[in-house]
Amino acid sequence: MTSHSILQIESLDIALRSGDAILTGVDLAIAPGKVLGVIGESGAGKSMIGAAIADTLPPGLAISRGSIRFDGLTLTDMTARTRRDLLGRDIGFIPQEPMTALNPTLTVGQQIGRHLARIGIANRATRDKRAIELFSEVGLDRPAQLLKSYPHQLSGGMLQRVLIAMAFASNPRLVIADEPTTALDVTIQAKVVELIARMRQAHDTSVLFITHDLQLAADVCDDVAVLYAGRIVETGRAEEIIDAPRHPYSRCLSLAAPNLDGPVAPLMILPKAMPGAVERAAMRGCAFAPRCPAADEACTRTPPPRRAVSPGHVSACHYPERTSAIAPPARRNAGDLAAPGEAAVLRAQGLGKAYRQHDWLGRVREVEALRGLDFTVREREFVGIVGESGSGKSTLTKLIVGLENVTSGTLHVVGLDRTSTPRERFFDQVQLVFQDPQSALNPRRRIGSLVTQSLECRGNGLAAKARRELAAELLAKVMLPPDAADRFPDQLSGGQKQRVNIARALCSNPRLLIADEIVSGLDVSVQAQILELLRGLREQASFSLLLISHDLAVVRHVCDRVLVMCKGEIVEQGPVEQVFGAPRHPYTMQLVAAARGRPRSDDRHAREASDLS
Amino acid sequence: MIKALLRIVARRLFAIVPVFAVVTVLVFAALRILPVDPAQMSLPPSATIEQVEAKREEMGLNKPIWQQYALWARRAVAGDLGESAQYRMPTAKVVLERLPATIELAMCALVFAVVVGVAGGILLFTVRGTALESLGMALTSVVMALPDFLLALLFILVFGVMLPLFPVNGRLDPGLEVPSHTGFLLLDSLLTGDVSIVASAISHIALPVMALGLAFSPTIVRVLHSSLINTYQQSYIRQARLRGLSDREILFGQALKNAILPVVILVGTQFGGLFGGTLLVEMIFSFPGLGNLMVKAMQTADLSVIMAIALIYCAVTLLFNSLADAAAYLLNPKLRTA
Repeated sequence: MTSHSILQIESLDIALRSGDAILTGVDLAIAPGKVLGVIGESGAGKSMIGAAIADTLPPGLAISRGSIRFDGLTLTDMTARTRRDLLGRDIGFIPQEPMTALNPTLTVGQQIGRHLARIGIANRATRDKRAIELFSEVGLDRPAQLLKSYPHQLSGGMLQRVLIAMAFASNPRLVIADEPTTALDVTIQAKVVELIARMRQAHDTSVLFITHDLQLAADVCDDVAVLYAGRIVETGRAEEIIDAPRHPYSRCLSLAAPNLDGPVAPLMILPKAMPGAVERAAMRGCAFAPRCPAADEACTRTPPPRRAVSPGHVSACHYPERTSAIAPPARRNAGDLAAPGEAAVLRAQGLGKAYRQHDWLGRVREVEALRGLDFTVREREFVGIVGESGSGKSTLTKLIVGLENVTSGTLHVVGLDRTSTPRERFFDQVQLVFQDPQSALNPRRRIGSLVTQSLECRGNGLAAKARRELAAELLAKVMLPPDAADRFPDQLSGGQKQRVNIARALCSNPRLLIADEIVSGLDVSVQAQILELLRGLREQASFSLLLISHDLAVVRHVCDRVLVMCKGEIVEQGPVEQVFGAPRHPYTMQLVAAARGRPRSDDRHAREASDLS
Repeated sequence: MIKALLRIVARRLFAIVPVFAVVTVLVFAALRILPVDPAQMSLPPSATIEQVEAKREEMGLNKPIWQQYALWARRAVAGDLGESAQYRMPTAKVVLERLPATIELAMCALVFAVVVGVAGGILLFTVRGTALESLGMALTSVVMALPDFLLALLFILVFGVMLPLFPVNGRLDPGLEVPSHTGFLLLDSLLTGDVSIVASAISHIALPVMALGLAFSPTIVRVLHSSLINTYQQSYIRQARLRGLSDREILFGQALKNAILPVVILVGTQFGGLFGGTLLVEMIFSFPGLGNLMVKAMQTADLSVIMAIALIYCAVTLLFNSLADAAAYLLNPKLRTA
């Protein structure tokens, strides 16, 4: 873009040894002091860009064409040794998961000390002093004490601050942040994003911000590049791409994310999945064409031209002008939802859970995980639970299914006594779906037998034919094709696997379904499929849902009511619109602000201007 | 920190006591089941039936077995392990005389095994993905398949007979005398300050140490190799690389401390096997330690000696388990700072 860019990537191809392309013709440029966002779903190849810059591509992958220029140097022509010397000195990295990014057997001080030694601070006392300065700069309390701590003694947010401090320690020209907030709690996410923005300014650094979150990119980045199936489909100013995208994929991504404001509109659902490297090789036209609502014959035949639709805004689409007309299909029955019944399937009164911990000398200490919970989930009611890690959400689930014993108050679950009801009868009524769709499915069983698995322990064995029919019925309920029954879990995508998990949970026609973060590991477009599926199930609801999520918009999209949990207590509960629209408790306000109130880019520029004056 | 460590070691050692007590019961019972009469064994063959009966009475052999055990236990706690039938000397004295030789042998073998194993593991890891790695793996398989006594015989054949580089029996050249200060020959010979004595002691212990140590090292190589591969998949290694640390700094400064933990556990749990290996290896090299004594005691049904040595083997095994636990605790800050 500008004549001197800190980072300039030109027609970069990265391919497998077999020749199949992972990235194709990627062009990117970051001007000094700017933030470039690379947006893409998993499998798009976004992390490969960072790996290519760092020369740490996974084995079997190599740059087959193109160049990477950094600050006047052509990285692709340099030796591995000289490239490595740039890392940590001129190019800093902020990782996705701070909890695993530091060595657990070394203290924080040892690790930052080694880094500072590498970037040229020979004297140990000076290093300690500099580390303390850096820790103060990133807002860590008691920095001197922190040096002696081990990583496991710090929270995820603190660790990410330590890692940000290390990334900026050498005043690098470029910092690459790969999904730096994905693994963190909502309220901490906002703070970390702010911190990165502040550090970037203070150290005059350019940032390559890799993320799957369109909204986040809009708040953080100056420019944005949208990556799909290894190609950049759209680049331009962040506001333009978010507010007026000119590539159907960018628009579909925005429409697939649930909102926290406005009407609860149906989400955009893309058919099929992003093509993998091998499938792409066989495609002649646009890689998005098979899923694109605006595509026609021409799209599948010829590759789309890349052209400027306005100054600085490039779209690789045959028909960029069709983008704005794309809208999600209207719901079949105008979103009328089954009214909840009167009977309670779940009722907690003064519910509490305390753990007894024994210390070295056998002294007993009581730790309260839950305190005085009062709530009811009625028949056919969808209730969300929001709260951050440590708020007691998981403990509550354990109490409901009887993995842990209630220590105070009462808990009625579908009218059954957990201690005296036979396990299979209880779980006919109460079912769970978990976060990781993969590990919940036995990889050696076919989908048809997995979804009807709960019949096996009943003893009243269904005939094979009846069982097949039931499997087909369940798969239809979760919008999977009937032939999925003969496949193995590994042959399905993440979203399809999660639908199998939901189908399996519905097999015994339960009265209560508990869904624990079931969309948080999924891509936006896949998440949309699951959320629309849940809404569809709610229209004909035969069960109540307890949806545990850290994402307020997800809860708003699916649920009638919400419970807000904080430190083991319910601090606020009520209808979703009321709680999120006009939160009363300070903690709810904080959550809502963190989810919605990231400064929009215009405000940010205004604030930057005032900072400078 | 030191205090916490001492506390964990003390706790571990304390936990050994009941386990050890159970072991003594088992060993005691096993030896009483043998069709051997300890009274008869402890008397000359010419003893009359009356003498044997008197001896039985004296040794408490006519009492119920649990009373016999109680008697034995009470004496054992006081340091009296009975009398060796073979040597006509207190068993404790007979055993303690041989103990230092075996400890010396086992410790040297352990150090040898760990040095070879750790070096081999690192080497095998650094050539990962190449043909050398496959070759190294094959080599560890071969050595793993050879038991220590076979290695001992092989070494005698190769380094004692074909290339006579090392002596193949005893602890010293005939004619050399070393005054005993510590009982550990290597230390005692160092104390003499005589280079030729030290050299003789080292060359005598070399082959048994290699046989015992080499038999143990391939397991260490394998465990460290796979543990390093595992560690290198961790995010913090990738992050260290992204900070520009060199391969060497990453291996020795970051990965090894994490990867060594399974090796520590392995050494702690498997040391008993190495120590037990001294039995045959000592016999093969006529090395005057516990193993040799044990073989002789079994041949002559010297029950109190067998019992004492069996218990020493048990104690050493338990002790090393506990030490490994303590070391693992020390290496893992998550446990240490909890």
